[in-house]
Amino acid sequence: MDALPRPKLKSKKPKYSRFTQQELPAWKPILTPGWVIASFVAVAILFIPAGLLCLSASERVVEIIDRYDDECLPDSYSNKGDSFIQSKDTNKTCVRTMKVPKKMTAPVFIYYQLDNFYQNHRRYVKSRSDKQLRDPGFADETRDCKPEDNLHGDENEPIIPCGLVAWSLFNDTYILSKGNKVLDINKKDIAWKSDTEIKFGSDVYPKNFQKGELIGGGELDETKPLSEQEDLIVWMRTAALPNFRKLYGKINSDLEANETITIVIQNNYNTYEFGGEKRIVLSTMSWIGGKNDFFGIAFLTIGGICLFMAINFILLYVCKPRPLGDPSYLSWNRNPSGQ
Amino acid sequence: MSLDDAQIVNVNPQQQSPDTLQNSSSHDGIQSKSWRASSVQEVGFVDFGSKSVPQGAESEGFSMSMSHREINNEDSRLVYVNDALKTNERFEFAGNSIRTAKYSVLSFLPRNLFEQFHRVAYIYFLIIAILNQLPQLAVFGRGASILPLSIVLLVTAVKDAYEDWRRHRSDRIENNRMSFVLVNDRFQQKKWKDIQVGEIIRFSANDTIPCDIVLLSTSDPTGVAYIQTINLDGESNLKTRYAKLETLSRVPEKDRMNGLIKCEKPNRNIYGFHATMEIDGKHLSLGPSNIVLRGCVLKNTNSAVGVAVYAGNETKAMLNSSGAPSKRSRLETRMNREIILLSVFLIALCTVVSVCAGVWLGRHRDDLDMLPFYRKMDYSEPVAENYNYSGFGMEILFTFLMSVIVFQIMIPISLYISMELVRVGQAYFMIRDDKMYDETSNSRFQCRALNINEDLGQIKYVFSDKTGTLTENKMEFKYASILGVDYSGEGTDFDGEQRGYCIQVNGQVWRPKMMVKVDKVLLRLSQTGNNMKANEQIYDFFLALAACNTIVPIVVDTSDPSEKLVDYQGESPDEQALVYAAAAYGFMLMERTSGHIVIDIQGERQRFNVLGMHEFDSDRKRMSVILGCPDGTVKVIVKGADSSMFKIIDKSRNLDVVRATESHLHSYSSIGLRTLVVGMRELGVPEFEQWQSSYETASTAVMGRVALLRKVAINLENNLNIVGASAIEDRLQMGVPEAIESLRKADIKVWVLTGDKQETAISIGYSSKLLTSNMSQVVINSNSKESCRKSLEDALITSRKFVVSGDPHAGGSGALIIDGTSLVYILDSELEEQLFQLANNCAVVLCCRVAPLQKAGIVALIKNRTDDMTLAIGDGANDVSMIQMADVGIGISGQEGRQAVMASDFAMGQFRFLVPLLLVHGHWNYQRMGYMILYNFYRNAVFVLVLFWYVLFTGFTLTTAVTEWSSVLYSVLYTSVPTIVVAILDKDLSRRSLLTYPQLYGAGQRQESYNAKLFWLTIADTLWQSIVVFFVPLFVYWKSDIDGSSLGDLWTLAVVFLVNVHLAMDVIRWSWISHASIWGSIIATCICVIIIDIIPMLPGYWAIFDLASKGSFWICLLGIQIAAIVPRFGIKMFIQHCKPSDIQIAREAEKFGNSMESRGAEIEMNPPRR
Repeated sequence: MDALPRPKLKSKKPKYSRFTQQELPAWKPILTPGWVIASFVAVAILFIPAGLLCLSASERVVEIIDRYDDECLPDSYSNKGDSFIQSKDTNKTCVRTMKVPKKMTAPVFIYYQLDNFYQNHRRYVKSRSDKQLRDPGFADETRDCKPEDNLHGDENEPIIPCGLVAWSLFNDTYILSKGNKVLDINKKDIAWKSDTEIKFGSDVYPKNFQKGELIGGGELDETKPLSEQEDLIVWMRTAALPNFRKLYGKINSDLEANETITIVIQNNYNTYEFGGEKRIVLSTMSWIGGKNDFFGIAFLTIGGICLFMAINFILLYVCKPRPLGDPSYLSWNRNPSGQ
Repeated sequence: MSLDDAQIVNVNPQQQSPDTLQNSSSHDGIQSKSWRASSVQEVGFVDFGSKSVPQGAESEGFSMSMSHREINNEDSRLVYVNDALKTNERFEFAGNSIRTAKYSVLSFLPRNLFEQFHRVAYIYFLIIAILNQLPQLAVFGRGASILPLSIVLLVTAVKDAYEDWRRHRSDRIENNRMSFVLVNDRFQQKKWKDIQVGEIIRFSANDTIPCDIVLLSTSDPTGVAYIQTINLDGESNLKTRYAKLETLSRVPEKDRMNGLIKCEKPNRNIYGFHATMEIDGKHLSLGPSNIVLRGCVLKNTNSAVGVAVYAGNETKAMLNSSGAPSKRSRLETRMNREIILLSVFLIALCTVVSVCAGVWLGRHRDDLDMLPFYRKMDYSEPVAENYNYSGFGMEILFTFLMSVIVFQIMIPISLYISMELVRVGQAYFMIRDDKMYDETSNSRFQCRALNINEDLGQIKYVFSDKTGTLTENKMEFKYASILGVDYSGEGTDFDGEQRGYCIQVNGQVWRPKMMVKVDKVLLRLSQTGNNMKANEQIYDFFLALAACNTIVPIVVDTSDPSEKLVDYQGESPDEQALVYAAAAYGFMLMERTSGHIVIDIQGERQRFNVLGMHEFDSDRKRMSVILGCPDGTVKVIVKGADSSMFKIIDKSRNLDVVRATESHLHSYSSIGLRTLVVGMRELGVPEFEQWQSSYETASTAVMGRVALLRKVAINLENNLNIVGASAIEDRLQMGVPEAIESLRKADIKVWVLTGDKQETAISIGYSSKLLTSNMSQVVINSNSKESCRKSLEDALITSRKFVVSGDPHAGGSGALIIDGTSLVYILDSELEEQLFQLANNCAVVLCCRVAPLQKAGIVALIKNRTDDMTLAIGDGANDVSMIQMADVGIGISGQEGRQAVMASDFAMGQFRFLVPLLLVHGHWNYQRMGYMILYNFYRNAVFVLVLFWYVLFTGFTLTTAVTEWSSVLYSVLYTSVPTIVVAILDKDLSRRSLLTYPQLYGAGQRQESYNAKLFWLTIADTLWQSIVVFFVPLFVYWKSDIDGSSLGDLWTLAVVFLVNVHLAMDVIRWSWISHASIWGSIIATCICVIIIDIIPMLPGYWAIFDLASKGSFWICLLGIQIAAIVPRFGIKMFIQHCKPSDIQIAREAEKFGNSMESRGAEIEMNPPRR
């Protein structure tokens, strides 16, 4: 039975395009044994030398660390660090010496290192006002700064800079001398340029800072704008981890091996109450940053593992080859008894 | 009353109730199945002479309760004809303005939000956002916490608004169409939206009906109107509706009509209507044949007048416009299980954090007041008080809630939205696939359900209807057996000069629309007139074919004005085929009115009076017509299924003929033809009068009319002379054997469920390659439960041999053939289990003579006993229950209306499209979706774990080094696009490979792309990757001067790079779109991080630039990527080499040439093992 031609209907036949038929040209990579081995070898070749490079760079970095929080505590105050540091009458000056193990070429960076100090604690990181730091117009923008927002709770007396971060500013000071010669510590340019230039206002001056009932740390020179208070700026870049270093200054002269450095420390900062530790660190820099063997070891490990994998895969492909696309491996072609 | 006066108006669609079993057994041979599943039967009515006897009869089952149900006043509506005011005064019936749009400008916001928040995912989002607004818990800023939710809400709202705007527009067009409405005794144009219930409306030919109307009069003197319901149910054939005789003669403009129609409350049953009309003091009953529904088109009738009874949103068409069915995919169900696991992880993480926080607080209890980074005491007030501290217990609770907020994306909410988008994308490709476009019906593939795309890749069982699904349901008259002579000469084409049979009418040439191949011998015999005995029988045979039916001939114009085509419209394709066949042999039905038919017999026009008609019913399985012939004789012509006909044929007279016919019938049905037997008898005057009076009584009976009419029919239909038998071919659809072959190779079990006879079913089974000659058949035909049990037990023993022998091609596997009668005893009884086992042992199952509900029962048999996915495919209303029962329902948009399509999840034009649908799209969809879910779990968990590790180093205080914007944008922007793009576009294998090796479909059946093992592997991998991402920077920067923001940026970039590299490693086909999305995401992330870091107000100002200026950052980033990926890469490569999946091998074969094909050829000889 044949139908006579019917009146033409508008055909709904989908228009052909490579897109709608899912036939777009495409690259279909398949990782053949060659590619697998090559990629493992490539990673190994890249990572093993890189690891060695990192290790040698780390090796060249000279680092002197001295923990002084407990050493600077007079015997009479041992276990009472808290009251020692809070007392106004105690002598906080402390002298330490250290030996330079290897030549340290300028610039030598001086860090203070705090351990167990949660600068990333949620209450702490939130307790700041970035608006206030930048713009004098937002001086009373202290909402997030509680309890260090206003002096004596008076809204007209905002604390600048407000908040726990600024309040707890680190205030130990170091004087370094080599023999009798006091080493010049450069405290300029220790903060990020972007911070001094933009983030911290050059027309914002400290006000009511550390005037409250409880003194948390360092004080600020009220005649200098915040953008010039680089110690504060460094401190306000809150550390990511509870053990951290912050840049104190730079020495622009070389330190020779076996030289003895004398450090006069004003031990003002209270880490005793929460069991924190304080250290002074002198370090040079390499292209990977400070002394850090982790990179090197990690890279060598990854490279080594990849080399191992490459060898294993070579052995696998040699001992148990499988032709690519061999249909006898298809599940329906495998002989059930021969399996 | 003379014969000529007797007018019988009776033609209407027949239906059977779905739950009578015999129903399905043979009426495939008689009529279309399209009405079967509707549970309410159409009311037939007969006008006899001047007396009109309305009848409201329903199916036997509930006819007693239904037909005499008086419509209560409470559940009826009263419509005063031509008095809209009075009609609407007491009850506010809906006006005719329709509103498919969901929202108005005002209600959009609240309603849309309300609907959106029906999703659990959104509520979770909302609760998290609300929690975050509490000052104690404010982890993120206000903006950042609301952003993801608002983006999702906005996107959805814009989509909804656009869709609604389109609905508004179509509503407006629809509402402003015009109709002629009687106003002040004149028909005036009125907008559709202003039409009210009770108003009288006039239509001309080809007008669309604006609301549901009861016909009052038509241009036809007998009150017939033909309508097309294509907009309603998609059926293009004409249906007849009637106006009541009482109202027929009224001219609404002149004599005011006052009447009262009492009808049912609006309901969605488009095949049922029940009402009474009171006019001029007379009580009339109205049925479905008196109502014309909104959306129908008036055809072949010059004009009609009706009164509106249901309007606007209360019309049956509007009540029926419901959305697609909602199912949940198997993969999603599995996924939800894993999401519960993830919630447990989330709670575990939060518990760890809060317990640790508690311990920490406890140990520092005494220091808290003064601790520089805690400072519990606020000394600025006169009396020192606690600042922001609510006590030990509360702090722990807050920590817990805050950690839920911080780790919220552990539950991948974005996954639900991604899945929706991906499914839309997949549906787009399925719809646009030109390999699934059906030329003959001009229909594309349709995706009606949008949430089970991936189920298509896991089908284990296909339940298929036969007629219209495997076959075309285009009936073609093949052979005839007349007076014991078989005219089965191969159908020859038309003689060269004569293009089929045609007749001359008023100088025009009329020819049938369809041409039929004719048997030359029979054609010559039929043309030689009716003088010889054999020729007389041939004359009777074709007269019977032309007359004994309900076909309406429609004359259609052609491009050539001198030529017209006669199109035979009717409910049943079989009847159409028979009438076309009769026309080809020179018995052309030209005209059918209510009382007579005109047949052109070999150029001679003859008028026959139709004195009565006994319609087909499933008990008798036959129909009969009583004809008053031009020569004054009265004949009763009966046609029906062989089983019912041979009972009533007088075998004593023509035993040889009967025997010969029986053997012909057997040979016809064994080659898959549908057979009908025709019988005839002349009625003597007394017998006729007796019949006529009982027919009249039965037709006018108030109680049990159907039963009475059947009795009359049975009394009449006896002692027939056998005239002959016809054989109709229902051709297999194109590509069906190949499709079944492919499905079988793909280890999909194909079950055929048909209403046809066993022989027909088996022969179709052979021709569609479902059955092969080396299969041993297990046949179960039983008439009682006991015999069922016995044959099942025997069959089980036999069938075990198929399994034990194991080798399917050695002994040939089994085929189970079972009939509906046996199924009655088996389904819903303890025998089900045995049947299930038996069916499991057999490769093929054929169920014949099954009723619609049994079809659903068989699907349920499998569905309840296995975890395997089932798919049902069918085209008719009788398949609806099965389609809805199966996990995936597919409707064939074919010859039989659209009920199956309306109930289906997917609809397509041809059975063979099942192959690309399952093997190609299903495979892709499944593989893509499975991968996407796992990847989304991984991508969110790795980020959450990085956050979690950091929390352990912040005194357990939920500080995030990653900026709050980055943590919010992570799942919304940084990593969302590639996963969606890859899940829409990536292809593991080409279409060609998937079609060449259907066995590859097994990957979905074995759940290779998503399973518990993969989930745990992914979680393990996630753990490792998060450890690498977090701890490498931690060790690198331990005791260094790095600030939180810089390290946060490093972690952000490391995670985003890593998850994108991870995805890149798994992408199989790199089109430019994949490249753009993956590398684009990485670039977009960098840009976002830079933007966040150039805002001086944020603490992290300039961090990224400071970081990037240091070598350690870059080394760190590179090291993380490699160290995190190496284990995954190594394991993946190892598995690829040692335990390659089929997909892997096929991919290799695809890339590295034709090694697979050359070797494949020999292996191909081995069919798949079950």
